[in-house]
Amino acid sequence: MIRFWKRFYDWVDERVQLSGLVEFMGKKYVPVHRHSIWYYFGGVSLFLFIIQVVTGILLLLYYKGGEELAFESIQFIMSKVQFGWLIRSIHSWTANLFILAAMIHMFSVYFEKAYRKPREFTWITGMLMFFLALGFGFSGYLLPWNELAFFATKVGTDIAGVIPVIGKPIMVFLRGGEEVTGATLSRFFGFHVAVFPGIFTVFLGIHLLLVQRQGMSEPLEFENESTAERKTMPFFPNFLLRDLLFWLIVLNLLAILAVFFPWELGKKADAFAPAPAGIKPEWYFLFMFQTLKYIPGTVLVFDGEVLGILLFSLAGLLWTLVPFWDRKSSRGEKSRSINYIGLFVVLYIIILTIIGWVA
Amino acid sequence: MNRLVPKIAYTLAIGFCFAVRAPADDKCLTCHQSLGDKASELFMRDVHHTRGVTCAGCHGGDAKSEEMEQAMSKGAGFIGVPKGDGISKACAECHSNPERMRRYGSKLPTNQLEQLQASVHGNLATSGKEHIARCTTCHNAHGIVSVKDRASPVFPLNVVKTCTKCHADAAFMRTYNPSLPVDQLEKYRTSVHGSRNAKGDPKVAECASCHGSHDIRSAKDVKSAVFASNLPSTCSTCHSSAEYMKEYTIPTDQFEKFSKSVHGVALLRKHDLAAPACNACHGNHGATPPGVASISKVCGSCHALNADLFSSSPHKKAFDERNLPECETCHGNHEIIVATNKLLGVSSEAVCSRCHGETQNPKGYATARTMRALIDSLEVDEKRAATLVEEAEQKGMEISEAKYKLRDARQARLESRTMVHAFDEERFREVVSKGMDVASFVSDEATRALDEYVFRRIGLGIATLAMSVLAVSLYVFIRRLERRQSMGGKMSSSLPHRKP
Amino acid sequence: MNGFSTDNFQQSKRDFLKYFLGGGVLVWLAAVLYPILAYLKPPKEGDVEVTSVKAGKVSAMEKETGTIVRFGNKPVILVRTSAGEFRAFTATCTHLDCTVQFRKDMGLIWCACHNGKYDLNGRNVAGPPPRPLDEYRVIVQGEDIFISRKA
Repeated sequence: MIRFWKRFYDWVDERVQLSGLVEFMGKKYVPVHRHSIWYYFGGVSLFLFIIQVVTGILLLLYYKGGEELAFESIQFIMSKVQFGWLIRSIHSWTANLFILAAMIHMFSVYFEKAYRKPREFTWITGMLMFFLALGFGFSGYLLPWNELAFFATKVGTDIAGVIPVIGKPIMVFLRGGEEVTGATLSRFFGFHVAVFPGIFTVFLGIHLLLVQRQGMSEPLEFENESTAERKTMPFFPNFLLRDLLFWLIVLNLLAILAVFFPWELGKKADAFAPAPAGIKPEWYFLFMFQTLKYIPGTVLVFDGEVLGILLFSLAGLLWTLVPFWDRKSSRGEKSRSINYIGLFVVLYIIILTIIGWVA
Repeated sequence: MNRLVPKIAYTLAIGFCFAVRAPADDKCLTCHQSLGDKASELFMRDVHHTRGVTCAGCHGGDAKSEEMEQAMSKGAGFIGVPKGDGISKACAECHSNPERMRRYGSKLPTNQLEQLQASVHGNLATSGKEHIARCTTCHNAHGIVSVKDRASPVFPLNVVKTCTKCHADAAFMRTYNPSLPVDQLEKYRTSVHGSRNAKGDPKVAECASCHGSHDIRSAKDVKSAVFASNLPSTCSTCHSSAEYMKEYTIPTDQFEKFSKSVHGVALLRKHDLAAPACNACHGNHGATPPGVASISKVCGSCHALNADLFSSSPHKKAFDERNLPECETCHGNHEIIVATNKLLGVSSEAVCSRCHGETQNPKGYATARTMRALIDSLEVDEKRAATLVEEAEQKGMEISEAKYKLRDARQARLESRTMVHAFDEERFREVVSKGMDVASFVSDEATRALDEYVFRRIGLGIATLAMSVLAVSLYVFIRRLERRQSMGGKMSSSLPHRKP
Repeated sequence: MNGFSTDNFQQSKRDFLKYFLGGGVLVWLAAVLYPILAYLKPPKEGDVEVTSVKAGKVSAMEKETGTIVRFGNKPVILVRTSAGEFRAFTATCTHLDCTVQFRKDMGLIWCACHNGKYDLNGRNVAGPPPRPLDEYRVIVQGEDIFISRKA
């Protein structure tokens, strides 16, 4: 068995010269320290993304776009296709877990200041992927064309339309018209299965390439220790196997969620019916949604909603650019203020999300 | 002076002749009688006259004066011949005044005008100058007697004539309500009430008995005594009184029975105005509703499908031969209860066994038994399918399509209840098997959903077991690997690498 | 001697683990691949049924015809009058919940259970039904007929 694989490797190596790469990979190590556990979350996010791609492709085989058939095709998948219920529920659950894992990954990188030089671009591509993930979530949510999704999309695109000057054109572009219709569904489908995956893959490639090239980021304390004192483990096979173990458990967790907490379908969207009471977006948008509710209608001379959106956009931009304005970390110094800012953001998001959920 | 003396002498002479009859004060009457006035002739028999009310009591003026100018002066309150609503006003001066009525020792009610004004007759007449009816319309003007007096136009035997004065006049009624029939009298005379009334029985119902007298409202008015949901209690005022109905041969428990029946519950408790009140089967004025030959055939006017099936069934001839009423024989008349499966078949509660026995009319016996068995099994199948669907739904399985199909099973059961009336086993079986097919399809779907529910959990268990085995062995492998690494020091990469 | 047997023991433990691992991987792979492969097999029902609020095409419905459309979990009867107008009502009879049908010969909506009749405005005109049929909104957009609830 082993001899066969060795012969295969040799055959490929003769043509592609893998040995340099293999040697390089063999040297890859992972620092072992108090915060090592956070290293897993990048991998988990990747794993969940792969699950989304696989289950997404499977769903594509039976999903029918268009407002007459979208809902019924999901009903069909849930009830008539063998294991359709499993594939669909895993896809819906993974969407949420993917965003959660990405958030944990992002915050752990932030608090470790791993974005500092030379890894600024890794951070930027990561943030862009995160925004794309939110786009995935928003566009995918509409695809079953059920009541909840229809109105959530209406509200969400309404908010986009509030932005001054460019808001209206953006809204019309997103909706494929003035209102949310079958045209919106077609667009969102295109975004969800073609546009976003394409762009995401590009950023993912860059992100992973950079991580391989630059190696794992070490915490600042680490850099102060001597080379001998630093504990590490080889990526191949140790860390990889641990990664795989973790992924194994996550996959089983998804199956358990799919069986005991199947994702609901609800009622088919009816454009002529009034919105159900208490409509709210998915949890990852809730903190923004709830914040907008708290901002008064007019603040000084500005429209409250516009102000809120602009504030969030600004906050997002600043967050994305943190490698460039956090001078201390790029110098290798501890930065208390970064920690405080990060803590504030995390707490704000958690508290507002909880309020938005129970309100 | 010269003209006056003969007048006075003449008056005194006439007055003297009639002094015995006329109360001393009513000079108006004395004078007018001498003139041969029809009104005063009638007034002699009037109850007002007997009670001491003078002409001035209604017409105003001075009844004590013999002088015409004085007696009929405006100053004395003379109003002449009141017209239109003025008449009702004049009557109401006393009759709506409880104190005044008490002074005359009367126990009459005093709300008649109020009631009249609120009634349908209180609407404006087509002339626009007055309301449709006033007191004298029905009571006449001068010969008014008690309603208990045979001479009264509102005595039970005379009411019909009084009402039909207007209500049988097609040209007149057309100016008010062209859709109101004007043949009530003809129809009424065909009924028991009408024929007995014609023969002189004052106890049977006439117009006022049901419609009221002063407070007559349109039958569509919810306050009317003949409004659908009020009608049964109106009829039962007489028909449920054993005392009142003593000399008649009919029972007095119809209202009681009706209230408990399907129709009664629907009409009286659920306020379903489509349900029949007494008049729907017995007719309004006639003996039966228009177009219905006999009351035993009236059910078909609503239950048309059942009646059709029955008419082409073998029971029709059999019942006709034995002079049995069609629907009533099995379903009753007033006490019609909800028709359940129990009515069908050969058990003790079933009606079929009243005529069909194992040895007597055995073919019908067998058919009845079979039909009951079929409908019972359909009901059982349908219930089972519904239970299974509910269970699958509870478990969160997607079963909306099967649930939707279940309607068809229920529909088949209802249609079969109607099809019973053809008393044809083949046709019955056809309808029932349609339902049973649907029920079994739904049961299968639901069972499949329940099996799937279990399968998912078992499958998950197996997958989890496989995963756990793999996870544990992987963990052990990692542990071992790292132990070897820390002991051996050399890399033990699982990747093949060239030997240097 | 001793080292040799310990080594053997270690070796056999290693083999045991390797079998477990290998076997575990295979079983796990089977547990993951089986649902995916079964999913790829097309179900016997073939394809999705159109049940939606979009009731069909204008050209598909002739004048003086009626059809039952599934509206969520309820049946709705869609009729096209002789004037070409579209009307939709609940197909659940207001008497005892049977499903009504359009009868061209009567020019009415008819219920087979107890001979209830409704006119083409949904009003109960004969038989036991106590109430008219609830009306639904019909919107024609181009070639498509949409049925929706009346607000």
